[in-house]
Amino acid sequence: MGDTAAIVCHNLAKRFGEIEALRNVSLEVPPGVTFGLLGPNGAGKTTLLRIWLGLTPPTSGSATVLGERIPPRASLPRIGYMPQDLAVYPDLTVEENLALFGRLVGMDEAAIRRRTDEVLALVDIADRRDSLVATLSGGMRRRTSLAAAFLHDPDLLLLDEPTVGVDPELRSAFWSYFRVLTGRGKTVLMTTHYMEEASRCDLAALIHRGRLLALDTPAAIKTRTGAANLDDAFLSLVREANAA
Amino acid sequence: MSAHRALAVTRKTLSQFRHDRRTLGFIVGMPLLMVVVFGYTFGGEVHNVRTLVVSLDTGPMAGRLLENVTGDTLDLLPWTDAASGRDEVEAGRAWALLVFPANFSQNLVARRAAIEVVLDGSSPPITAAVLGTLRAAAETTFVGGSAAPLSLDRQYVYGSEETRFIDSFAPGVVALAVLMVTTILSVIMVVREKAGGMLERLFATPLRPAEFVLGLALALAVLAFLQSAVVLSAALLLFQVQVVGNVALAFGILLLFAVGNQGLGIMLSSAAKNELQAIQFVPLVLFPSLLLTGVFFPLEAIPGALRPLSYAVPLTYAGDALHSIMLRGWGVLEVGLDVIVLLAYDVLALLGATIFVRRQA
Repeated sequence: MGDTAAIVCHNLAKRFGEIEALRNVSLEVPPGVTFGLLGPNGAGKTTLLRIWLGLTPPTSGSATVLGERIPPRASLPRIGYMPQDLAVYPDLTVEENLALFGRLVGMDEAAIRRRTDEVLALVDIADRRDSLVATLSGGMRRRTSLAAAFLHDPDLLLLDEPTVGVDPELRSAFWSYFRVLTGRGKTVLMTTHYMEEASRCDLAALIHRGRLLALDTPAAIKTRTGAANLDDAFLSLVREANAA
Repeated sequence: MSAHRALAVTRKTLSQFRHDRRTLGFIVGMPLLMVVVFGYTFGGEVHNVRTLVVSLDTGPMAGRLLENVTGDTLDLLPWTDAASGRDEVEAGRAWALLVFPANFSQNLVARRAAIEVVLDGSSPPITAAVLGTLRAAAETTFVGGSAAPLSLDRQYVYGSEETRFIDSFAPGVVALAVLMVTTILSVIMVVREKAGGMLERLFATPLRPAEFVLGLALALAVLAFLQSAVVLSAALLLFQVQVVGNVALAFGILLLFAVGNQGLGIMLSSAAKNELQAIQFVPLVLFPSLLLTGVFFPLEAIPGALRPLSYAVPLTYAGDALHSIMLRGWGVLEVGLDVIVLLAYDVLALLGATIFVRRQA
């Protein structure tokens, strides 16, 4: 991947009628890091992901993803995406779901089989590979959706609230895997509204009402605001923004 | 039992409808449309049946009889010779040919007159209308004649006296069954894709809308293939429906029709926000198809004002092709126009589906 930034965006704005979902967001996500996009519900996190994936065009501004201008059509096979609403077929088995997404990104059948074994072991649902997703618990569905996102070993993972409803033990396993990935130069970007989750990231971007309030290491954000934790830092930044 | 709580549920339900104007419009508009269309088309009267007349009669009686053919059931067209008139009937451009022989008037006096009636008997309601109108005209012309002085010498180009009503509407019903299932199925499939966020997830991969539509249409075509086989077999085995033509060709027509319906279904479901709205499109497709396309009664029974609408409904062509193949034994060249229209329907519907899917991806 070299030094090319995973994502660069300049003055991205998105309006839905009267609602300004994003206001001139400029940021850069370097390769090989875990990047937390942090903010309350409705802050604009998912809209950013959708713009980067080419699912919706920005109202103004520009962005490149893996070096390609949005919509990143040629780069889509190198991107893994896990949406917030999981988006796995309940009427297919775990394995059938993975096979579908593997084929859509152009993997051959042998690679799909091999990687399915690996990722299912990793998310710890190997014993349910032949179960219909409809019969799985919410947590297991989330793991299936995550497995589908990194089946093809993408260079960039875009994860929308990946750890909601995941138990602490598994969350810790996810995080170890994210570290393995970043060690190999992959970029893991996740949205979250859990400050605790964001503080584990190499970099965190704080978004509030479509505006980027801060982008730094979690430690630097805390230092700058003089806060003991990211929760307080976030509140202090929001107050600052409202006063301005 | 609390009336208060029950009423709360009532209020909530009515509020839901208030927020969903389209459903509200459907509730009011659909029955209105049904009543109007049913009322107009279920008169059952056949109109404007194209009938050629070759009169060789040297006397006045043929002319007098034809003057008594009143109403608009038959469209009488003077024709020059019997041979080319027969060709017209064979080509499906006319339903009947009447030939009055040269000695018709003399024979009437001798009470042994006959009219040669060459019929496309593939549609019993039309056969009945032609013969009934002639008999009525004869009765008016020869009032008081105790015994019928006139015989109708029937010759069938297609079908026969044994052609039953079920034979004539079976092809249309088969097509209608395919229409219903393929449309409903694709509507529901796509709405489900949208509802679970699946469509968005799929388009976050290199999958393009046209690929999605084509892939879906292929899968549904497999189902349509099975379905057409079942429906056709049922018509043939259970009701011994008369088929004089090529069953494989009939099958091909059904498949062509099914593909277009899938495109239509995908388009319709894309315009719907939820399953409730999507299902409302089904009668919208179904009723015009049921009533305007000659499935249960010939196109000639549909009022002239509504007839142009008939030609805008794809089932008209699928039904016509199947009718001609099954009852007239026509080949692919003779139903060429229907095939071309159905192919155009497939292409347009799939293109439309792609555009609609892309718009919401």
